[in-house]
Amino acid sequence: MPGFLAKKAAKAFPKSLWLYHCNSGACNGCDIEILNVLTPYYDVERFGLKLVGSPRHADVMLLSGAVTRPTLPLVKRAFEAMPGPKLVFGIGSCAAGGGCWFDTYNVTGGAATAVPVDYLIPGCPPRPEAIIYGVALALGLVPQKSAPVELKQVEFPIDAYLRNKAWEERNVIYKLIKD
Amino acid sequence: MWLTSKFKQIVLALKPGTVTLKYPFEKRPVPKDFRGQPVWDHTKCIGCGGCANHCPARTILLRDLCQEIRVLVYDGTKCTYCGRCAELCPEKAIVMSPEFELAAARREDVSQTLELFMLTCNRCGRCFDMEIKNAIDKLDLRGYRYDNIETRTVLRRTTDRMEPAVLDETEAARRPERIGG
Amino acid sequence: MRFLAPLINVLLFLALAPLFEGVLRKLTAKIQSRQGPPLRQPYYDLLKLLGKERLDSAGTWPFRFAPLLAFAAILAVVAVIPFGGRANVLAGRMDAILVIYLLTLGGAAVLFGALAGRNTFGLIGASREMVTMIMVEPILAMTLILGAVKIGSLSLAAAVPSAAGASFGISTGLMLVVYLLALQAFVARQPFDIAEAEVELLEGPFIEYSGSNYALFKYAMMLKQMFYAWLFVSVFLPFIRTGIYPLDLLIQLAAMFVVFLLIGLVGATNPRMRIDQAVRYYAVLIVAALAIVGLGVLGH
Repeated sequence: MPGFLAKKAAKAFPKSLWLYHCNSGACNGCDIEILNVLTPYYDVERFGLKLVGSPRHADVMLLSGAVTRPTLPLVKRAFEAMPGPKLVFGIGSCAAGGGCWFDTYNVTGGAATAVPVDYLIPGCPPRPEAIIYGVALALGLVPQKSAPVELKQVEFPIDAYLRNKAWEERNVIYKLIKD
Repeated sequence: MWLTSKFKQIVLALKPGTVTLKYPFEKRPVPKDFRGQPVWDHTKCIGCGGCANHCPARTILLRDLCQEIRVLVYDGTKCTYCGRCAELCPEKAIVMSPEFELAAARREDVSQTLELFMLTCNRCGRCFDMEIKNAIDKLDLRGYRYDNIETRTVLRRTTDRMEPAVLDETEAARRPERIGG
Repeated sequence: MRFLAPLINVLLFLALAPLFEGVLRKLTAKIQSRQGPPLRQPYYDLLKLLGKERLDSAGTWPFRFAPLLAFAAILAVVAVIPFGGRANVLAGRMDAILVIYLLTLGGAAVLFGALAGRNTFGLIGASREMVTMIMVEPILAMTLILGAVKIGSLSLAAAVPSAAGASFGISTGLMLVVYLLALQAFVARQPFDIAEAEVELLEGPFIEYSGSNYALFKYAMMLKQMFYAWLFVSVFLPFIRTGIYPLDLLIQLAAMFVVFLLIGLVGATNPRMRIDQAVRYYAVLIVAALAIVGLGVLGH
């Protein structure tokens, strides 16, 4: 593709994202909130987003539901059917980490086990405003509000504590949090 | 007849104007008892672990680092915002804030970590005798809870699992007989 | 001017077709009491589609060829029409029958692509698109033939304005009503967007297309919309012919804008018809169109 057309296409990409909604075993609470977002009250089409029926036309996959075992290969296939560049939003707590059912027999544990997730929108179900906030965050219209919080009660000058804590810090807890 | 009703439909449709809320650019109020993300107050928490024991999504994890330090991690990705932890907390250290704008790019962005100082015994000045031979007390020594924070799972204190065969042999749990044999 | 006219036609149509589509989307949004996308949204859509990866999901050549055929057919039609009332240099080699043929070729290209995609939804969409084409092409043909009958020649420059200009009789008035009733199916909007039924068929014949192929199909659909609006304006509205070419163009564009408003209003307030209901509706319209052409032959 000629260079200037590629640049124009890249600039037009955030202005017109097409959504494909994929339900991988959700209770439909998050699906109803997604439909709410398309109603006149919270109208998300003013950002240029449109709901399309085929993953081949879509740029963004809205994944709702803890990915259950039967739907795992289907979600993967739908993701592969989308042409790049593509994004995945995990809507709701089930898609974010598996919800209350993350360690049950039929659930593989949230969207991250099936597709690479770009943005997650926690909530059970997330308010339509929260979904619009997530979309606006992806488009760069608002800054991200949530950040990891660390609180300590006392700072200890004890030698053994410091050694122990330093070992845990380096190898166990903060290694995961920094990942 | 049909045409006039179509005109009436168009007039009715255009009457409300535009009702779209200008959401990301104007803040929206939340209802009064809205349950958003729970927020821990580290000055009030006593490290009892009630919230971790009763969280239905097992998203609050607790571990003893050493004798005096207990670490609590709230991994917000699985939270269902039910409010049980806030309701249970004896010190009212957890508050369900009206915060719902939680979209994040990484899982760690919605987590909260607390480090808590656990007091030593008033009489002897220490918590546990480190030389324990008794198996039961050894279990206690591993700490009140020893959740696996690396993989974010809850580790139970016993390794017993529910075996269907054991259930069949247990007298107390025998299923009632069908009436008539 | 006659040599430049095809080029001006093509450029104007290419530049303004997404704008009219944007007007339609904004009007639909306003009727649904919401804010709706900005007017330039279809331009962004087309540009974004050009930047997407093109997954060649059926590896066969008809799949890649069909959008090009549809786009080329509609561009050929656009280059030939007397836009602004001026015949252009290509008009000597084209007549009304060839225009009908090219539009049918565009529709057949959509079918081509849908069947090459080997998807069940595409198959159903293709069969419905075929039924829609069979329903509406006769009405298009009757419209052009009415003009040809009145003036006695099939050439476009004569046939298109003659239905109104030469003699606005009963037949033209009735044909205007029939064309308006059929307009919604020409532009593939509710209540007759059966082939592209969004929720029922997941976009019907275009389901397997992605990226630049889909952009070409969408562009071809937008150009078709604009062409049918132009046809209505130039065949049925008695043409105010000032001598100045740009002013003629502007007048026709303004009239097309009003037609688009009408399309948008009808589209947003009607539900979608089932295929058998639509076929019955169109059977009546086809018979009426034939009767009107008969009236035209008799001299009314």
